[in-house]
Amino acid sequence: MTTIKNLFFFLGLTGLMFLTACNDDDVEPENEEEVITTVNYTLTPDGGGDTVTLTYRDEDGDGSGAPVITGGTLAANTTYSGSLELLNETESPAEDITEEIQEEDEDHLFFFTVNGANLTVAYADMDANGNPTGLATTVTTGDASAGTLIVTLRHEPTKPAATLAEAGGETDIEVSFPVSIQ
Amino acid sequence: MRIYFILSLFLLISVTSIAQECSYTLSGYLVDEDSNTPLEYAGIIISETQQGVHSDSTGYFEITNVCAGNYQIEFSHIGCECLNQQLQIKRDTVVTFYLHHHAELLEEVVVRTNRADLSTQTSTSISEGDISKESNKNLSDLLENITGVSTLKNGSGISKPVIHGLYGNRIAILNNGIAQAGQQWGNDHAPEIDPASAQYISVIKGANALAYSSNSLGSIVVVDGGSITDNTNLQANLNYIYQTNGRGHTFNTRLEQNGKWAAWRYVGTLKKIGDTHTPNHFLTNTGKGEANISFQIEKKFSTQWHNKFYYSLFNTEIGVLRGSHIGNLTDLETALARSRPFFTQDEFSYTLNPPRQEVKHHLLKFESKYFINDLQSFRFQYGGQLNNRKEFDIRRGGRSEIPAMSLNQFSHFLEGNYNLQTLNNWQLKTGLQFRTVDNANEPGTGIIPLIPRFNSYTPSVFGILQKQNNQWLFEVGGRYDYRFFWVKIQEGTSSNIVRYDHQFHNYAFSTGAKYRDSSNLKASFNLGYMQRAPEVNELYASGLHQGVSGIEEGDRNLQQEKSLKAIGSIDWNIQENTLLQATAYYHYIDDYIYLQPQDDFRLTIRGAFPVFIYEQTDAALYGADLQLTYELIPNLELVTKYAIVRGKDRVNNNAIINLPSDNLFTSLEWRLPSSDRFNDTYISINGRYVWQQDRITAEQDFVAPPEAYYLMGLQMGTSLPFGTSKVDVSLTVDNLFNVQYRDYLNRLRYFADEMGRNVSLRVNYQLGH
Repeated sequence: MTTIKNLFFFLGLTGLMFLTACNDDDVEPENEEEVITTVNYTLTPDGGGDTVTLTYRDEDGDGSGAPVITGGTLAANTTYSGSLELLNETESPAEDITEEIQEEDEDHLFFFTVNGANLTVAYADMDANGNPTGLATTVTTGDASAGTLIVTLRHEPTKPAATLAEAGGETDIEVSFPVSIQ
Repeated sequence: MRIYFILSLFLLISVTSIAQECSYTLSGYLVDEDSNTPLEYAGIIISETQQGVHSDSTGYFEITNVCAGNYQIEFSHIGCECLNQQLQIKRDTVVTFYLHHHAELLEEVVVRTNRADLSTQTSTSISEGDISKESNKNLSDLLENITGVSTLKNGSGISKPVIHGLYGNRIAILNNGIAQAGQQWGNDHAPEIDPASAQYISVIKGANALAYSSNSLGSIVVVDGGSITDNTNLQANLNYIYQTNGRGHTFNTRLEQNGKWAAWRYVGTLKKIGDTHTPNHFLTNTGKGEANISFQIEKKFSTQWHNKFYYSLFNTEIGVLRGSHIGNLTDLETALARSRPFFTQDEFSYTLNPPRQEVKHHLLKFESKYFINDLQSFRFQYGGQLNNRKEFDIRRGGRSEIPAMSLNQFSHFLEGNYNLQTLNNWQLKTGLQFRTVDNANEPGTGIIPLIPRFNSYTPSVFGILQKQNNQWLFEVGGRYDYRFFWVKIQEGTSSNIVRYDHQFHNYAFSTGAKYRDSSNLKASFNLGYMQRAPEVNELYASGLHQGVSGIEEGDRNLQQEKSLKAIGSIDWNIQENTLLQATAYYHYIDDYIYLQPQDDFRLTIRGAFPVFIYEQTDAALYGADLQLTYELIPNLELVTKYAIVRGKDRVNNNAIINLPSDNLFTSLEWRLPSSDRFNDTYISINGRYVWQQDRITAEQDFVAPPEAYYLMGLQMGTSLPFGTSKVDVSLTVDNLFNVQYRDYLNRLRYFADEMGRNVSLRVNYQLGH
């Protein structure tokens, strides 16, 4: 009979383990650190004139909410200095992701793909290895036209790379702005 | 073929009679110690007098005209090596022999039988010897040796078994009797078990899992340490494998002894494998390391009270192909267009960089079995598991060394079983079970967890009734689970934590019959209905699945899956040298949960992504497994295995994805005669043909499934005896002709080819066998 008693003792003991295991403690919310919600591409004309800011904002990250995209109108046959700014606006104040990219500029590369519009984008910055990154650019417009400008950011690409296909890596940003040149 | 045959002779009723010296009768029952069911048609012989009989279908035997004296009693069962038992006979003796009768495994042309033989289920096993030969592989890859089992892979290091078209949560894995409570959320999560810790691994291709899992749809993988040796001398088994592809080293140690106080066993595994290689290039970052231990103690406090303690730690670090880590759909298209993945290095390396996984799984188990008498027994079981999974991604801002996901899963399982047998061959098995799972995310990852915090509580009850009637065994059973869980989820990028409760009632019923005509024919049929509650990932997954570049979303209104499976199987020794094993099944699943690709892409700041949402449909899966073993001439054996699975979405009228391609495997093995120097020398050649999976439509995948392929392999080995020890040496070549191919069930098919030729050299030292 002692064996049966032993069994019950063990049963009780494990029961106790259950009770201690089933704690209903609260969940600590996780702070999403690597979100980029906003891309601002500011174009300042070299000879003076109206500054144009192209903006892409998607506050819910991968969620189903649609992004808000603001395109722009550029002056024909003008040279602009382009500057990219990346923000995480889920935080308050907004976190500047541009700094992170700058610190790791060897591991990042922006691409600018133009469809339809009469403009060219040239790199105007360099990383520690002497390769362009694309945070600073020179944009030159031609005659009046309209189209899209696609800005792509690749993480850990092959640098330097002439095309997206050559670069590899993974896409951190791929946004398309409607642009017109008048 | 090694069978452990530990006898426990525990009921000795003696009937005194005044009789002549040689007119005593020895009679009684042969009973399987584990299942408490009769051992039918087992042989029992008195060594000294060579008087012998076979037990009948109820396990009963009777030897008459026995003289008084001390005897060695020998037992035999199909394919067993049997141990003897001392018995003194002074009068008519009735005795029940509890035979510790583990796995009888098919290695020669005999009708396969094993543990599940004592039910109406169909099952197949892999023995300790075969596990040891391929201990450099993982559990799922070993299981692929069984007809009808395929593996769903994420590169060469991560794989999970697919049985009859089902995988992941729909399959139960029993690790030493305890349902594995790992993290089966994604196709990139492999079962956390070291196959080297097992004495045998079986697949029960059943229609029900009534006695086991609360949430599977039939098939069960059983990984079991079996019984410890009854030898009082130390037994040692050291196993080393070098593989050329990945320059991998695997080292296993197994020590066991039937010690003075208790029997014990220790198993340890160390594994280090580097970047594997396709015929053309390295697969950068596909190495892995493992360091596993397990410890088992068996103690019998009395002949009636048996105890078993088991602890194991599975500890691994696995790299994921660097080139498979991509961003959006454009990246995927770029990757698809390349034959050599991005980031492929020209140099070999053992280093693991992100993306990689670190997994630790602890299992602590205690089992106590009490035999009230020879017809009734109680069993109590506790299993505690802790699973820690960390996944590291390529991240910005120096965060790559911070896990992108870090989950701790605690689970506890308690079970009380009662077994009753009657003298007229009825048997009742009943049990009460309680399981809890507590899954928590370690904070500080900087990423909202893919799997939310949840706690689940599942009390269950089951009963199975069996009736043995000559060559027939009938079975009927039922199970009920109440499943309650709550989830605490962080909604969107806000820091609001919301709690949701769910409860499900799962019912399962099953019935079956088995016919067995001596050792030439065995046939069984099983019909099972069961329900499976949706898992947390199916309800709550939310976010980007890197590498498949898709956004996965759960649906918290999912209902249970309802499944009806019919399975029939036959083992038939057509002639003395021909064995046919065939299984056919039809599986109806209503409200089958699957990931449905949505029509529209989702536009995010990272570009466009396809969206997959967990939806339900009605499905049907059916197929067949065939195996033919044919001994052409003595010692030359041809084995052919063929498996097909078909799956249909009955609502949308298209094929189910991720089903294995049809495959045909043939091996020809020649066993050389033994000499004084060399034993068990063999050489075998094999071929595997895998058809293209051509049933899915273009909308169901990013690219067409890979083409058909044919691989050949070679194996040879011998055994060198040295007194009480022996050394086995063997050589295995996989993908002999270095064929370049891709497999439909490997997620990395989008990015890279499969491994090329791999030569493995194994040296195994056994002491005391």
